[in-house]
Amino acid sequence: MARNLRHLNVGGIALLVALAALWQLAVGASLIDLDYLPAPTEVVQAGVEQVEAGALVTATLHTLGVALAAWLIALVLGVALGLLLGFSAAARMVFTTSVEVLRTLPVVAFVPVAVLVFGLSTRMEVVVAAWAALWPIVINTLGGVEAVPARLHEVAAVFRLSGARRIRSIVLPAAAPLILVGARLGLSFALIVAVVAEMIGNPQGLGHLVIRTQQALRTEAMFAGILVIGLLGVALNAALLALTARAAPDMFEPGKRS
Amino acid sequence: MNVRRQLVRLTGLLPLALLLGAWELLASADDPYFPPPSSWWVAVRRLSELGTLLPAIRATAETFALALAVAVVAGSLLGLAIGALPAMRSVTSPLVEFSRTMPPPAVVPMAALLIGLGRTMAVTVVVFAAVWPIVLNTAEAVRSLPAVLLETARALHLSRRARITKVLGPALVPGLLLGVRVATPLCVIVTLLVEMLTGAPGIGSLLVQAQRNFISAQAFGLLIVVGIFGFLINTGVAALEQRVLRAWPPTARAR
Repeated sequence: MARNLRHLNVGGIALLVALAALWQLAVGASLIDLDYLPAPTEVVQAGVEQVEAGALVTATLHTLGVALAAWLIALVLGVALGLLLGFSAAARMVFTTSVEVLRTLPVVAFVPVAVLVFGLSTRMEVVVAAWAALWPIVINTLGGVEAVPARLHEVAAVFRLSGARRIRSIVLPAAAPLILVGARLGLSFALIVAVVAEMIGNPQGLGHLVIRTQQALRTEAMFAGILVIGLLGVALNAALLALTARAAPDMFEPGKRS
Repeated sequence: MNVRRQLVRLTGLLPLALLLGAWELLASADDPYFPPPSSWWVAVRRLSELGTLLPAIRATAETFALALAVAVVAGSLLGLAIGALPAMRSVTSPLVEFSRTMPPPAVVPMAALLIGLGRTMAVTVVVFAAVWPIVLNTAEAVRSLPAVLLETARALHLSRRARITKVLGPALVPGLLLGVRVATPLCVIVTLLVEMLTGAPGIGSLLVQAQRNFISAQAFGLLIVVGIFGFLINTGVAALEQRVLRAWPPTARAR
């Protein structure tokens, strides 16, 4: 925390504040002639009202819950699939091209298909968000396993470690940094796709709140929703970075886990 | 060796082929949820006969190309400024971080209100989502520019033009291209996204229409069309990148 404070970027924050002030002034003095642009104070006010009415909180919790659930599913499946591909040359031969084909299909295009198959439901939302989060985790786990130094495998062989033990004590710690990068990408994908699914299919969450308020021309409420989505993205990313920084050092200290 | 590699790659398609084969055999022709793959083809063919498929593909391709071009120009300029001026970097970094992590779907309704529906709005949203990898990679390339390169250029009294084409260009272009490679699939995805959310003409809005009319065979078929579209664009951009790197003076390859 203290370190964060010392890294506080005064100039950067000043720029954000200055931009907000400029926006406020421009709307206030009607320099910008746009019918639908609310002033920042109106956006904040609408946000506070929505929080008090409970709509914003419910929507945020819904979107956050979906993104996290999808991410956890993708994490378990993705690491498992990545380990399988990393360890077995046969599995690599059989699956790699299929994985390549599936993962390069633009993920947003799955949303309409998923709506048809799973209906306008939270289940649909979780499925597409997990699908989006899965591939970076698979690819990075595979990359992490391949990057484990041969020396470590030799050590495992000398100690006659069992397969499970070898994965737990050698491969996962060594591959952890890359897996965590994949996990971070996966989490932001899960959030993005959850919001898309809410805009197109599932009438819940922040995505739907933004669309609903846009259609009702309640632009200040819409901007509040957009702001929360942006903050959620930044917060999830920062949380995972902090978690990585905490988790990684003792993962790498040799001997600590044996 | 090459033949063997191709063979291995083809083996890799086996699970997908088996899945689609089983699907074709097990699904009844009018299954509302999982229509068999043969019906996807029929559905897409019908779209193409109606004359809606090709214009949609063209519209998506145009939005994509325009957005990528703008993103490359704007991103490299911004990246140059951020990389060259440390103060600029620290002042803009919170703004860049926020914009970078801002989920693109949230930008769409905002842009729709402020700019209005249409291609300008679509391109703006796509650029806003895809410009950041180009900015960051260009800035990184500028920052890691070895000082000795600039000093050599000065010692040799190179003209400004020679300095740009012989020193800075070769040193910075690989970083820029790396950013373009990351930005390309993003551009494709966000282009589709804008079309899906606003109904702007393109493959994305065709997909949403298929969903709203419950024509699942068409939705699955269009998903494949989108996949092929994305694949062709990514391969095309990768090929272009290789050409640029090869055409550049040998210093580019030394890096």
